[in-house]
Amino acid sequence: MTMKTFPPLGEISDALVTEMSQAAGEPEWLTAQRVEAWRFFASAEPPYWRRTDLSKFRPEQVIAAADTAATSVYYEEDLTEKGVVLVTLEQALRSHEALIRQHLGAAIEPTRHKFLALNAALWRDGVFLYVPKNVTVELPLTAVFSMPIPGGAIMPRNLIILDDGANVTFVEEYHSTAASDQAFAAPVTEMFLGNDATLRFIAVQTWGEDVYHIGAQKARVGRGATIEWAAVNLGARVQHIEAETSLEGDGSRVEWVAATFAGDHQNLLTAPWLRHIGAKTEAHMDFKTVVKDQSYTTFDGMIKIERQSRATVSRLEEHALHLSPKARSDSIPGLMIDTNDVARAGHASTSGEVDEEQLFYMRSRGIPRDDAIHLIVTGFFEPVLDRIPHDALRRRIADMIEAKI
Amino acid sequence: MNSDLVINDLRVSVEDKEILKGVNLTVKAGSIHAIMGPNGSGKSTLAYTLMGHPGYTVTGGEVWYQGRNILELEPDERSKLGLFLAFQYPVAIPGVTVANFLRAAINAHRAEEGKDPKETAIPMAQFRKQLREQMAALGIDEGFARRYLNEGFSGGEKKRIEILQMAMLEPSMAIMDETDSGLDIDALKIVAQGVNTLYAQHPEMGVLVITHYQRLLNYIKPHFVSVLMDGRIVREGGPELALELEEKGYDFIREEVASA
Ligand SMILES: Nc1ncnc2c1ncn2[C@@H]1O[C@H](COP(=O)(O)OP(=O)(O)OP(=O)(O)O)[C@@H](O)[C@H]1O
Ligand SMILES: [Mg+2]
Repeated sequence: MTMKTFPPLGEISDALVTEMSQAAGEPEWLTAQRVEAWRFFASAEPPYWRRTDLSKFRPEQVIAAADTAATSVYYEEDLTEKGVVLVTLEQALRSHEALIRQHLGAAIEPTRHKFLALNAALWRDGVFLYVPKNVTVELPLTAVFSMPIPGGAIMPRNLIILDDGANVTFVEEYHSTAASDQAFAAPVTEMFLGNDATLRFIAVQTWGEDVYHIGAQKARVGRGATIEWAAVNLGARVQHIEAETSLEGDGSRVEWVAATFAGDHQNLLTAPWLRHIGAKTEAHMDFKTVVKDQSYTTFDGMIKIERQSRATVSRLEEHALHLSPKARSDSIPGLMIDTNDVARAGHASTSGEVDEEQLFYMRSRGIPRDDAIHLIVTGFFEPVLDRIPHDALRRRIADMIEAKI
Repeated sequence: MNSDLVINDLRVSVEDKEILKGVNLTVKAGSIHAIMGPNGSGKSTLAYTLMGHPGYTVTGGEVWYQGRNILELEPDERSKLGLFLAFQYPVAIPGVTVANFLRAAINAHRAEEGKDPKETAIPMAQFRKQLREQMAALGIDEGFARRYLNEGFSGGEKKRIEILQMAMLEPSMAIMDETDSGLDIDALKIVAQGVNTLYAQHPEMGVLVITHYQRLLNYIKPHFVSVLMDGRIVREGGPELALELEEKGYDFIREEVASA
């Protein structure tokens, strides 16, 4: 397959961004957005992230894909009959320009940091998912992103829009077929849930060992709507994911689980933000981390209960399991409460080695130590794996976890 | 090879405190042997030590079983040798279902050096059938197979699941540490029946029953009763000893020991 690419980032100009956008037949507003974002990227300092190691990362040399070869979509039922749209975002510009214009960048501000601006300037990959009012899609929809050129870069942009009462499962998967040289992914996913909509969102990151993944995801959740969000982070050299759920509508809910397993010298950070804005919003977060070898993970969470929210329920659990003494996991949970009307807010956190009592119990049944650790680790992740809708994907993830232990 | 469990002058410390101070005890193959004793006398310490809990330091003595000094074996090796401990306080294993746990345990027992574990693993259908039957016999709802092991189980449910594991693993030497505590009277009968059935099917099996109460011994009838007090076996006898203890309490033995 021939690939269209940009020149190395160090050689891109405003003029080239304009030219390529126009050549693709994009609307003017989008060309203008891209140029503005590019200018921000070109002039902004790299973000200072204490816990994400970018010291060996050379963005000037990055060669970004300039077509959608890295994006594949999968679905198993007839979507057109129901008016459901799942195509690349590029394609959707031709059919749903107004919806895209209204939503693109409406969840994630492109100028929050340099790499978000880079995504806004250069995205070509990415999908557009639209589910009309009161439509339920039974079977999961999937977008898979793979690295098309060794050592290259992709910047997928995903826009997920659920109209009122819509109900769907969407899986986004970042996946390498082989380990490669330094490669770079900077995906952005924006999700909009109308009133009473339900989204099961599964984000799976299983890159090869030399990928830098700097991503952002945000869901804006309408009145009475529910998002069930499950994240699996297994791959990449360095991961920096800023994820946010904004419970804007009254009675909106999130069930948010994550499984992170780092080994070798992996440096994986997840920064989940949760904002309670509407009344009677409810959040349950359960984040699980396993570290091994000399890896380093960070849970950099923040729960913000805004002034206007009332009768909020918010529960955060985060647990880390250490399989070797040199591995490190940091947990920095933050809580900001601006209201006097919280129904329940709680936080539980544990961090430690595999429990000796559990190990002894299992060994007393004949299970050898290593097998017992396998069972404990897979059991630890079970609440997350349980939410993965495809058997094949669940098995592949379970196998990857097994192999890492 | 000797299928009796022979404990010779066993001394055990926890955090530098000596708990077992020279225990001598033989649990004969094919016998049911009760151990009674006041709280804190070292009964659970003995049970844990026999199974190889790493928190208990053996400072002296030997425990012989099947021709091996089992104190030199890892807990999983002891299990494969036929030992089983029904815990007084079973631990929860989050995310691991009862069925998966049991299958892992059974397959660990069936594993053979140099053979592909897939070859020796129990066929799924056979496992399911066996599990269903044993659960039914112990009055355990089928739904428990899919629940995470001991997570959120009531005290009584945990004890039944311990006996379920015992029935599935068919040990040749079973130690039951206060399996009766936390059981209501109906559950007690069912659990005792489970043990008796297993014993009837395996008459060569040895059973070491740790309990405070005669109540259990009405259903699981011991051939021998030993009394553990302050880290030593201070009295041995037949079933009548348990009845005597029930009637008089431990004081009369304490006095005997003191005057001896
Ligand atoms: N892990 C431990 N750490 C500290 N002390 C311990 C530990 N395990 C046992 N002990 C002490 O050893 C002594 C014997 O305890 P053990 O649990 O063996 O008694 P027991 O006879 O089983 O009592 P019970 O009838 O209450 O179950 C007690 O004084 C107890 O406090
Ligand atoms: Mg005890």
